[in-house]
Amino acid sequence: MARELSMVAAINEALHIALAADPDVIVLGEDVAGGGGRADQGIEDAWGGIMGATRGLLTRFGAQRVRDTPISEMGFLGAAVGAAATGLRPVAELMFIDFIGVALDPLLNQAAKLRYMFGGKASVPLTVRTLTGAGLRSAAQHSQSLYGITAGIPGLKTVIPSNPADAKGLLLAAIRDDDPVIFCEPKSLMFLSGEVPEEDYEVPLGSAKVVSAGSDVTLVGFGRTVHTALTAAAALAADGISAEVIDLRSLQPLDTDAILASLSKTGRLVVIDEATPRCGIASDVAALCVDRGFEFLDAPVKRVTAPHAPVPFSPTLEDAYMPSPEQVVAAVREMG
Amino acid sequence: MPLSTETLMDLYRQMRTIRVFEDQLAELVMAGRLNGFLHLYAGEEAVAVGVCAHLSAPDVITSTHRGHGHCIAKGVDVHRMMAELFGRRTGICKGKGGSMHIADLDLGMLGANGIVGAGIPLATGAALTMQVKQTGGVAVAFFGDGATNQGQFHESLNLAAIWKLPVVFVIENNGYGEATPTEFVTPVRDLASRAAAYAMAGDTADGMDFFDVHEKAGAAIARARRGEGPTLIECKTYRYYGHYVGDALTYRSAAEAAEWMEQRDPLRLFEARVLEAGVVEEGNLRRIDREVRVLIEAAVAAAEAAPFPDPADLLADVYVKE
Amino acid sequence: MAVAVAMPSLGMSMREGRVLAWLVPVGARVAKDQPLLSIESEKAEFEMPAPAAGVLRHVYVEPDATVPCGTLLAVITASGDAMFDADAFRRANDRPLAVRPAPVAAAPGAAALPARERVAITPAARARARTLGIDAAAVAGTGPGGRITRDDIEAWAARRQALVEVAPGVSLEAPAQGAGEPVVLLPGFGVDVSVFTSQVPSLAERFRVIGVNPRGVGLSDAPAAACYDVATAAADAAALLGRPAHIVGASLGAAVALELALAHPESVRSLVLITPFVTAGARLLAVLDAWCRVARAADSEALASVLLPWMFSECFLADAASRERARRGLAASAARVAPTVLDRYAAGVHAWSGSRAADLGRIAVPTLVVTAAQDLLVPAAATVGAAIPGAVTRTLPTAGHAVTIEAAAAMVTMVLGHLGGV
Repeated sequence: MARELSMVAAINEALHIALAADPDVIVLGEDVAGGGGRADQGIEDAWGGIMGATRGLLTRFGAQRVRDTPISEMGFLGAAVGAAATGLRPVAELMFIDFIGVALDPLLNQAAKLRYMFGGKASVPLTVRTLTGAGLRSAAQHSQSLYGITAGIPGLKTVIPSNPADAKGLLLAAIRDDDPVIFCEPKSLMFLSGEVPEEDYEVPLGSAKVVSAGSDVTLVGFGRTVHTALTAAAALAADGISAEVIDLRSLQPLDTDAILASLSKTGRLVVIDEATPRCGIASDVAALCVDRGFEFLDAPVKRVTAPHAPVPFSPTLEDAYMPSPEQVVAAVREMG
Repeated sequence: MPLSTETLMDLYRQMRTIRVFEDQLAELVMAGRLNGFLHLYAGEEAVAVGVCAHLSAPDVITSTHRGHGHCIAKGVDVHRMMAELFGRRTGICKGKGGSMHIADLDLGMLGANGIVGAGIPLATGAALTMQVKQTGGVAVAFFGDGATNQGQFHESLNLAAIWKLPVVFVIENNGYGEATPTEFVTPVRDLASRAAAYAMAGDTADGMDFFDVHEKAGAAIARARRGEGPTLIECKTYRYYGHYVGDALTYRSAAEAAEWMEQRDPLRLFEARVLEAGVVEEGNLRRIDREVRVLIEAAVAAAEAAPFPDPADLLADVYVKE
Repeated sequence: MAVAVAMPSLGMSMREGRVLAWLVPVGARVAKDQPLLSIESEKAEFEMPAPAAGVLRHVYVEPDATVPCGTLLAVITASGDAMFDADAFRRANDRPLAVRPAPVAAAPGAAALPARERVAITPAARARARTLGIDAAAVAGTGPGGRITRDDIEAWAARRQALVEVAPGVSLEAPAQGAGEPVVLLPGFGVDVSVFTSQVPSLAERFRVIGVNPRGVGLSDAPAAACYDVATAAADAAALLGRPAHIVGASLGAAVALELALAHPESVRSLVLITPFVTAGARLLAVLDAWCRVARAADSEALASVLLPWMFSECFLADAASRERARRGLAASAARVAPTVLDRYAAGVHAWSGSRAADLGRIAVPTLVVTAAQDLLVPAAATVGAAIPGAVTRTLPTAGHAVTIEAAAAMVTMVLGHLGGV
């Protein structure tokens, strides 16, 4: 049975399910409850996270398992890694992926590498939830899409849902995965509503989804850009161009088979990525097409990304910064 | 003397094993038979052994780039350690980690670490697990004086204090961070005083005196097991070799090193104490010395004869599941 | 009953057409074959007859619109009263051809069959070309910047499929339509069979019309040779024919027709010789020489501009619309012949000129000779008619050399008249 939930509510539901099912799952992060230590005043669970994703967890599962941390990303993420390596299954929140700058070592050099360096004896079943992307006028240091960093680190996994149903299923899969997973939450989609099944289910990591089938050009998107692609596809259809839209859902592992299968059908591919253009997912997918899909290519691979600039504050500038359906349509026309 | 003869001989054996192991590695590197960065623990044996004497397998330790001593004190197999240093498939980490990442999770050794200070939050996290699961275990983070200036140190102590985690933070202050004297980069002389900044218990021990370390560490570990929270212990010690093998040691005087090695050698101090107390016979100590040498020599021979990893191992264990 | 009226594909290279005017209002009754609308293609203007009797029920394409061949233009129903869903009918019957602009020369002097050093081609196209055994450099690209796409390769291969082998390793492009006795169309120097576009529909109603693009023209193979002589062209045409055919040749095509009649009489049922020559005059040779030089030095647009005054009459040239249409058509046709090929044909003309002057008396098939009074290039065409026993000569008083374009309708009438009497 399905009913409509916002993406943040779907994430909240996944967390409730995960903590109820496994006593080793704990949640930690800044303001994941809010009002810490003030149960006597009845104001714990004051926030439930900056967007409400962790609401109700402290009340239901207690202060041992739901912990507000100091503003010490390196410290509490490092602790989360240590806890994961010794028997817990922590879900830590890095409030904005922009803060990865002060916390990269625990993820890059510890979580990603303990299993490998220790010859397979360690495992780090850690999930890091983090807000990504622009669109909420949060300016340069709270609007970045840095999943290209984590997707490129061997030992980490990185996923990003585009809709509430996938958000719930991907988060449950991420928590139950025994590897460290970065779960990206596109902030501009957190209040997007959609049908979400009530039961406990998982969306497998490493599996892309063909959201809309087509024959003339492949549009690859993830997170917010799936919606950009769908809007562009509708505009292209009015001109007789049939676009196939793929939602990657998982950046590492990457569903290369799905991308290449679609390219073999259409011969044309556009990648749409909210992040900046250099050294990112868009270029990675384009290189895959040129390397392993060369004989299928009937036109150059196009990348539609943010520009090589920090995210501006002013609404008109920020709107121009984010990839638009018009840019996607123009790219399709340009590629011939 | 509260420790039994048997225990004392075992503790001596551990310290002697560390010393001979490290000395042997220095020889191997100089002879070109071993690769990579090796950071040797010789001179600091009393700290690792004095602390780990209070720990068992369910307790967890983390270490630094200078981690061989902690591994041996935590019971990690010497043969498998040597094979790891030689990069062999039979190594404790299957040849994938090397000296700076040597670990054995089965024995609660959560790894040496190549990032200064990185083991501190890991141990803090291990203590979090123990608290949540109520295992009664204790976590110990070993790190150097240089790490106390790292952000990870401060954030971890703050977190451990606020959550009252069962963790003991052990500073091995050997007077130098790489080639820079500690006093040049640290405004406080007694690093244990940093505990006060986190409303945490702090203590100082003579790191060359096994019994002082043993007593102070025992108190801290007991405090943690009782659920009374973390302690910061500073052990003042000295490393005999350079920061790494091959270090020209031009940043400290030979006279200073000689003084520590002759006047404050932890093995000699231990021997003097136990012989004076009459609880251990000298002959037994010499026998242990010989047995340790045989063990290390055998470990080297076995390691050099062991196979290298399969090329396919390169891609193994990046993930639990790809 | 509902009959679709679609943009026809006439002649050999028509891809799209422009609706000029509907000759009957919507709702009016029409008889079968009644002129229904006038259409312009790049070659000519013509009137399209109603394919059935009935009521012109719905018009889908308005005047001035240019649409691909196959596009549904209108529908004729039995009556005007019964319910009729025009949209549904369109969805089911609208079949426009994927429009690919006719291959355009990529650079001045470059024609459709260059040996280009650097070919812009997509990986998918290259892979497909490899699979099909095609030399991609021979294919004109329709992608951005002339890039060859997979569709270009597929389309080229499909067109090549229709080629006919006339000699070992030599295949010619010989588009055909209609049914009945065969009528073969042989074009003149430096152009392809599209010069006959205006005559084809009417001829195809009663005959099997076969256009022959000789060596090096259009998709036909261009085997290496110093000279493409008339005798070989005639042998090629003979190889195409299974039974005796009516041969219609214009200018140099008429020379080939004469050769056919003389060297391969078993292939010839009757002859139509349009502005023929047996001896090339000085002016004709000078124009052929200029043709070769300009084709090498400039693009086909410039070439067509230079040729126009030699091919058409004063009064045709005076009409701007006709002139412009003829120029475009000539440019498109000329673009299908490479400069190297032109040189070979020029050599062939020089070699053949005068060689058959004494043999015309041996021709023993019904022959129509069409001459043009304003023909600057072959002013003595009538002498050919005089030398062939029993030949009928008709002169178009106002036309220039390119009569199949300038006097299109008259040509149809004359040819049909000749064929009917054979």
